[in-house]
Amino acid sequence: MPLYESVYIARPDISATQVEALTADMTKILEENGGKVTKDEYWGLKSLAYRIKKNRKGHYSLMNIDAPAAALIEMERNMRLHEDVLRYMSIRVEEHEDEPSVMMQSKSSRDDRDRDRGRGNDDDRPKAAASASREDTSAADDKETEE
Amino acid sequence: MSRRPFFRRPKSCPFSGENAPKIDYKNVKLLQRFTSERGKIVPSRITAVSAKKQRELATAIKRARNLALMPFIIN
Repeated sequence: MPLYESVYIARPDISATQVEALTADMTKILEENGGKVTKDEYWGLKSLAYRIKKNRKGHYSLMNIDAPAAALIEMERNMRLHEDVLRYMSIRVEEHEDEPSVMMQSKSSRDDRDRDRGRGNDDDRPKAAASASREDTSAADDKETEE
Repeated sequence: MSRRPFFRRPKSCPFSGENAPKIDYKNVKLLQRFTSERGKIVPSRITAVSAKKQRELATAIKRARNLALMPFIIN
């Protein structure tokens, strides 16, 4: 069976457990069609680089899939129908990586950085980060004025 | 060096050789080094990425863009 890697972005207003449940649903669909999920990762609520359906953030999930093409098509069809899924992407890969992906590693390192943020910014692109944070504050300001 | 006014030392591809990073759409930090300030893919003549790896890199960046991991454009 071909190997696939599938990432999907879920709506930010659902909880992390709901995202896990969604992954479980998709896993079930794959298994019913004779496939299996060798690994699934939850990357957490990440901010999107641009807005998708007016959302600035999204829950990212990755699945490593070993399934026949028909099963993947069925899963993608279900993702398309599901309202909580903002976007999905499935790609065929030659081999799966067994270790946690870069996302999981960078997530743990970012937690470290958050703790000692005051020491200095070691971000590669301080400009981009600054503009992003500025956007956040302006968005917050908008909310305040609304209320 | 004195003969040619614009001598450039031979550049080597950052993705060839031992312990070179693997091009992956999930590794946003790596991909960001090969995009411009505005989010465009930097030509390989500047970054010295080999043609084969540049194609791979472009695919990875485009995948990351579709997943909103990277921006299409920064204003």
